[in-house]
Amino acid sequence: MVPNRRLNFCGSPLHIMDRRGFLGVAAAGAAAFAADMTQLNVLQHPLLAGELKKQQKRCLLLWLAGGASQLETWDPKPGTLTGGPFRAIPTSVPGIHISELMPQMAQRMKHTCIIRSLNTRIGDHGGGAQLMMRGRRDEPNLKYPDLGAVLARELGRRDSQVPDYVSFYFATEGRNMSLGTAGFLGSRYAPMELYTSMVPENIRRLDGINDLDHKQRAELRDLLSKQFAQGRASSSLGSHNAAYQRVRGLMASEKLFDATQEPPKIRDRYGPTLFGEQVMVARRLIEAGVPFVRVARAWWDSHGQNFETHQELVPELDHVMAALLDDLQERGLLEHTLVITLAEFGRTPRINPSLGRDHFATAWSATLSGCGIQGGSVWGKTDAQGERVVDGEVGAAELFATIYRALGINHQKNYHIGSRPVPLTEPGTKPIKAVLA
Amino acid sequence: MRINLPILALLGIALGPSLTGAGELFPPTLPIEEAVDRYVEAQLQEAGLQPAQPASDANFIRRLTLDLIGRIPTLEETRSFVASTKTGKRIELTDRLLNSPAFVRHQATEFDTLLMNGTRGSVRPYLLMALAEGRSWDRIYRDLLLPDESDPKLKPAAEFLHQRVRDLDKLTAEVSSLFFGVNISCARCHDHPLVADWKQDHFFGMKSFFSRTYQSGGRLAERETGLVKFKTTKGVERQARLMFLTGKVVETKTSKDSSAKFSARAELVKLSLQPDQRDFFARSIVNRIWHRFFGYGLVMPLDQMHSENAPSHPELLDWLARDLVEHGYDLRRLIRGLVLSRAYARASRWDKGEVPQPSLFAVARVRPLTPMQLAVSLRLAVTDPQTLPAPSKPEELDKRLQGLEASAASLARLFDQPDEDFQVGVHEALLFSNGAIIEKDLLADGGDRLLNRLRQLTKDEEAIDLAVQTILCRPPRDEERKLLGEYLQQRVDRPVEARRQMMWALLTSAEFRFNY
Repeated sequence: MVPNRRLNFCGSPLHIMDRRGFLGVAAAGAAAFAADMTQLNVLQHPLLAGELKKQQKRCLLLWLAGGASQLETWDPKPGTLTGGPFRAIPTSVPGIHISELMPQMAQRMKHTCIIRSLNTRIGDHGGGAQLMMRGRRDEPNLKYPDLGAVLARELGRRDSQVPDYVSFYFATEGRNMSLGTAGFLGSRYAPMELYTSMVPENIRRLDGINDLDHKQRAELRDLLSKQFAQGRASSSLGSHNAAYQRVRGLMASEKLFDATQEPPKIRDRYGPTLFGEQVMVARRLIEAGVPFVRVARAWWDSHGQNFETHQELVPELDHVMAALLDDLQERGLLEHTLVITLAEFGRTPRINPSLGRDHFATAWSATLSGCGIQGGSVWGKTDAQGERVVDGEVGAAELFATIYRALGINHQKNYHIGSRPVPLTEPGTKPIKAVLA
Repeated sequence: MRINLPILALLGIALGPSLTGAGELFPPTLPIEEAVDRYVEAQLQEAGLQPAQPASDANFIRRLTLDLIGRIPTLEETRSFVASTKTGKRIELTDRLLNSPAFVRHQATEFDTLLMNGTRGSVRPYLLMALAEGRSWDRIYRDLLLPDESDPKLKPAAEFLHQRVRDLDKLTAEVSSLFFGVNISCARCHDHPLVADWKQDHFFGMKSFFSRTYQSGGRLAERETGLVKFKTTKGVERQARLMFLTGKVVETKTSKDSSAKFSARAELVKLSLQPDQRDFFARSIVNRIWHRFFGYGLVMPLDQMHSENAPSHPELLDWLARDLVEHGYDLRRLIRGLVLSRAYARASRWDKGEVPQPSLFAVARVRPLTPMQLAVSLRLAVTDPQTLPAPSKPEELDKRLQGLEASAASLARLFDQPDEDFQVGVHEALLFSNGAIIEKDLLADGGDRLLNRLRQLTKDEEAIDLAVQTILCRPPRDEERKLLGEYLQQRVDRPVEARRQMMWALLTSAEFRFNY
């Protein structure tokens, strides 16, 4: 019986085709798959391709690096010992209150679900970031891909002319603790990281070569390589040529990164901050079919002066997030785009002697808006002072299962490492059904 | 149809000869290469397959030079090897490469990657010393697991443990995988679901050998006592014993009374090398070395060497493991035997329909270059071959190459270490297409650069010949001459640029990126 059982785990790309097959996303390294692409030339058909592109689901992660306070954002506790100076205000959804620092989001609550019951247990920046970006911790001998890499693979197109995982993280604080990683999925799904420049590295042609020569030497390379590939079956070889074939398209996508391409009206809407500009560019990328973008805003790590820090950062988040949701909705993209706010953890209800709040992973909040989400809702509850979850406790695994399901991805789907099946989330993990539309 | 192949292969394995019974193996007196070919060809015959043609001389010297010393051959090395009519020239080349100092450097890089990938440390300084002295694999294993930090020669070996000692689960899992070819990390939380061999007792048994190791004042230290406790999936608390993967248990001291010093780690090293216990150790390194030279292991994946995952060639693995043990774990001898086989020297091209299963070794595999192989080869390929010392002056040539290796190290960091089923990322293609280091450094036209020579050749045909031979280590084919000739012709107004672009297309071609 061993052979049968092993067969299920043979790791063949044929077993991992399922829905991505239809969308024309070849499995990583599926040389065999390439032969089947003939059936997928729906993408050549402009109408169908346009429809598919529009229906393609995507995700934008607002990463509140350092750990935003749930008490000054999504789960205020005014009038208690731990509540701090800010009030709670009602939102457009009766019964839901959020911090007064977020008046614009209060008016747009119908798109958003607040999860107030995260208990993720890990309270250091590195470990927390790893957990909240991957939904799990690495094992010895196994490095997991993060959310961006999984979505790049599940939602991207192999031959895509745009990047499939872009990450903005300009601040230096905490950056190295939350680097994007494709883990066992490999470099094909590694993030395009932007650290200092709004233009991705090596995307712009150097002055030393004119555009025609740049194009024609690539064609020459392609011809030479195609001759070599004849009679040689190797998925690594295929990926090498595929990577070069994406170069010109990616270079053409440079203008997607150019904020000045947006009309002044739109730019004004996002505001003059770097965070606003990056989120606006993220929207441009999403619109062009990039399946996953992360924009990190740092540094929320308010061990001292918590209230000043949040007085500065929360209104910016409120403004930019509201502008983003409006913009996505006006373009008909919100129902296909999941917007997440998340951090490595939240902050302690207890206010320390420096008027700060410390790391707190026991009872904190995240939000999901748009695609596949039951907007205008709250999941879970913390106690009166926000010290414990009293209802609907969830961990990183449940949050990730919910994210995958909202994007139409089976959270129990297996990848295979050799013969070992590795599910997207730990076996037995359940998504939060009530949060899903 | 596709799906049937694995079924057949699995049935083949299931019905194939048993794993044990060393008595039935070919005699130990056979040369390694002969044993390899007898076993591999017997299976090809059974499958009714004619293997691919032997690789051409130019193909062979490129493959072997990359494999043994980590770079492509120079123009002169390729030319004189191809032109030579000596019988036994492949053996001569193999021995020359194996005895060169570059072999030691490349082996050190390869083993350092194997042992330290994913950590922040390196044991390369130790490996350079150990391999230059010709230390055997069991000796290296001992040095890594029982490093004497007071000996300056051995101190760098301690980095292997230092990098892992703060996470004993990781140390346990990685030692099991690296030295014994088994991945028991599943068994940390539960008995392995598919493999009867691996119980939680195995994981915690192995962990027990390391659980007494810790760092003290920046040095490694080890307690004499202490046992690991764990909870079974049924919630029962158990005390682990010092148990090796075979199930063999070492009795431990329970108190500090007795005078003899007791080291659990030393016990593991001793036990795992005993004649009735050393199969894991010997077979694992044979499989890893085989994988390095053939691009596919006799057992795949490399860390799944257990009873339910049979080798493709069980007797061959047994034969090679026996041979390795009998010859004192001499890896250089093993490597020499593998690369002298016909199986190693096949062409990588298959023109007869569907490519056979890689486990048949009917055709050579296309293998991505490692970061260092790629970087050194790039540096060499853009060097004007006329400025290199002749192969008849090996010391001068090696000195020059050491300089190239040094300058290649920073370039190598831009590339990814290939793993199984490696996928080239788009950042690599973007780097080559638009990176300043490529355009302004590698493709510069001054001094000792190939482009400097190419621009002095006024005839296009000569430039094409030199560029292809230097970069791809073979003469251009007719259609390439034509293709490249047309490319240069269209740019007669800017011949230097045209030649630079031709070099770029060759350096970024799939043929250059892979060992084939």
